[in-house]
Amino acid sequence: MKTHDKTAGEKLKLGIFVIAGLVLFIIGVYLIGNQQSMFGSTIRLYASFQNINGLKTGNNVRFSGLNIGTVKSISMLNDSIIVVGMAIDQKSSHHIHTGATAAISTDGLVGNMIINIIAGKNGGTAIAEGDTLLSFRKLSTDEMLSTLNVTNENAAMLTADLLKITRAINAGEGPFSTLIKDKAAAEDISLTLRNIHQTSAAALRIMQHTDQLILSLNDKNGLAGLAKDSLTANHIRSVAVNLDKTSAHLNEVVADLQSTINEIRHGKGTLNYLVNDTTLAIKVDTTMGKLDLTLDQLHQAGIKLNENLEALKHNFLFRGYFKKLEKEKAKK
Amino acid sequence: MKSILIEIGELSYFAGRFFREVGKRPFEYKEFLRQCYNMGNRSLLLVGITGFIIGLVFTLQSRPTLQEFGAVSWMPSMVGISIIREIGPIITALICAGRIGSGIGAELGSMRVTEQIDAMEVSGTNPFKYLVVTRILATTLMLPILVVLSDAIALYGSYLVENLKGDVSFQLYFNEVFGSLEFGDIIPSTVKSFFFGFAIGVVGCFKGYTCGKGTEGVGRAANAAVVYTSMVLFILDFLAVLVSDIFYDL
Amino acid sequence: MEDLSIKKPVITIRNLYKRFGDNAVLNGFDMDLFEGENLVIMGKSGSGKSVMIKCLIGLEEHDSGTINVMGKDIDDLEAEELDELRTEIGFLFQGSALYDSMSVRENLEFPLRRHTKKFGVIKDAEPLVMEALESVGLAKAIDLMPDELSGGMKRRIALARTLILKPSIILYDEPTTGLDPITSKEIVQLMQKVQQQYKTSSIIITHDVDCARAIANRMILLIDGKNYAEGSFDTLRKNHDPKIQAFFK
Repeated sequence: MKTHDKTAGEKLKLGIFVIAGLVLFIIGVYLIGNQQSMFGSTIRLYASFQNINGLKTGNNVRFSGLNIGTVKSISMLNDSIIVVGMAIDQKSSHHIHTGATAAISTDGLVGNMIINIIAGKNGGTAIAEGDTLLSFRKLSTDEMLSTLNVTNENAAMLTADLLKITRAINAGEGPFSTLIKDKAAAEDISLTLRNIHQTSAAALRIMQHTDQLILSLNDKNGLAGLAKDSLTANHIRSVAVNLDKTSAHLNEVVADLQSTINEIRHGKGTLNYLVNDTTLAIKVDTTMGKLDLTLDQLHQAGIKLNENLEALKHNFLFRGYFKKLEKEKAKK
Repeated sequence: MKSILIEIGELSYFAGRFFREVGKRPFEYKEFLRQCYNMGNRSLLLVGITGFIIGLVFTLQSRPTLQEFGAVSWMPSMVGISIIREIGPIITALICAGRIGSGIGAELGSMRVTEQIDAMEVSGTNPFKYLVVTRILATTLMLPILVVLSDAIALYGSYLVENLKGDVSFQLYFNEVFGSLEFGDIIPSTVKSFFFGFAIGVVGCFKGYTCGKGTEGVGRAANAAVVYTSMVLFILDFLAVLVSDIFYDL
Repeated sequence: MEDLSIKKPVITIRNLYKRFGDNAVLNGFDMDLFEGENLVIMGKSGSGKSVMIKCLIGLEEHDSGTINVMGKDIDDLEAEELDELRTEIGFLFQGSALYDSMSVRENLEFPLRRHTKKFGVIKDAEPLVMEALESVGLAKAIDLMPDELSGGMKRRIALARTLILKPSIILYDEPTTGLDPITSKEIVQLMQKVQQQYKTSSIIITHDVDCARAIANRMILLIDGKNYAEGSFDTLRKNHDPKIQAFFK
């Protein structure tokens, strides 16, 4: 029948129409649900914050930049702690360990709030359902901008001050400029350095001496037992090592100083001064202090060494050895 | 003013009668399907073309502004949210108010005038169930589907513009669209569409069913169906925004 | 003419009142319809004839008075009982009132869908549809749509749709209005034929004198909402009351 065929065709078309609509709707819901990790198994994690900066349920949770879940609940524990619950995709959750920290930040400059989970440094076990992550308060864009503002102001003041200083230096005012400009001062420093050089050379000599001493101590068979007295030997050895280090430091310091002074000497123009100025004063100052100290220490070390040697001489075990030494000297 | 209140009262009574009769057997299954076909399939072309053009024009118009801010990459999100949340449902509903609402008003009106409704009643068929319940159910169920289809077509239109003007792949475009959408966008707008469909059906049927005498009455019924439906749609849309604001923290 | 007094009344109306706003349409109308008769009710347009038969079948609610159809007071009936009663009453509407979204077949099947109590569940309506169409002589029109039919054909199809339920009472609301004289005559002949074939009692509302003369066993003149005069066509015609004469000019 004509009419019957017509209604059958209409029903078919209606069916297609309805199914098309439903399928599109379901695809839409699925895509959105997927985005919010609504399907598939998830585990619940928590993190507490003092300020959540307008985070909302449904915001993304990222781990190393990858979307792995969403914010599911936000509840206030008390006036300063807000607990945020997150649903995390089960698969990704294996890679998050207990040391991981959660931080709230923005997606881009003006985007949505997100929770970033940052992997912990020291491994730990994999997180489990209901765990609470450590939280870390990251600067929000707002705070960042205000900090930046302060920094800017500081920088402006700083450069203004700096300008004043360099002008003053160029005009030859103040002690600092004297230090930089005065050749005599540089020569003073040079002299000091030379002294240091000498001192260190002396120290080297002392050390060599000690070395010989220790060597001979080891070599002398007759005294093997004595020389191997561990306590004494260690003592001596540590003295020697210290000395070694000290002299090495000394060498470095001297080299530094030398180059600095050279720069001062040969450097010309404001720029050079500027580059060197801040470091220079400090360097000179601290180096002097350190040098003093080092020299002092060296001195003491030498005294101690002498004492040690003296003590050795008087030690009854060594007495024979030293006598032998004297005899050998006498023979010569 | 008084007549408006009376009208509202009668309309509410009419809607109430729908709920009383919708559950009663027998259900006019065949007529319901016929109406679904008439309202759904037959509106699709119109709704589809409109949706496509809206998507196209909307994207073309907002592109320069976004470009100015260097935010063209936000285009899919913006278009997606505005179409799914608001433009899709309301435009589709308005078109259906024009096409379906006036159709119902005129059809029922002329049936009333030529005593077909009386004839139905006499032949033992409840005309309210046969004519009104089926039509209201059909608009209520078909409109959301039309909205979904029109949304999809509008987004496709917008994608075409983006693809031609910019260089966005299909996958990226729709990833962006659905990435920016939440259930708070799609659920209220779907629920809203059901109400829109219901409003179109109720007002159209009310105007037609209570049509005045003569050909003039039929014309007035069809006209009033469109005007009142559009008004009701905007009021509903406003209410929907308020309500979804409460349920979803938009 | 048969003696009406021993005939049993199928419809009794007493003291029927109906008003629309300030306009009192029916003002204490009384009427009896006896089994097997053709009662013609004549009246001017707007005199409340149509309203009266609509009250009769429950399409309009009357303000007061009683309407008793086949021993049942329609005010006491539940919706379902009223529907059941309606299967016994055919109603031919003024403008035919064919459902224009349906074919002739569907139009005729429509009353069958619901009145399953009278016929049981109808698996194949085709024989019933054909029978009704044949009785109005339009079997070939079965798959046409109403807008493909002429006015006379529409009226006949409407009659067929009324007949398909095999009613015992048929109410004709202006059956010849809007038709040319020849078609009117055909319809009147058809009505007579149907009455013999289906053994129905009928109320015919009309202002067409030719129709009334052809079909009336008895006539009621409805003037000012009351049954102003009653009697056979000939007795009324001979009446000298100018109000009555006005109908026959």
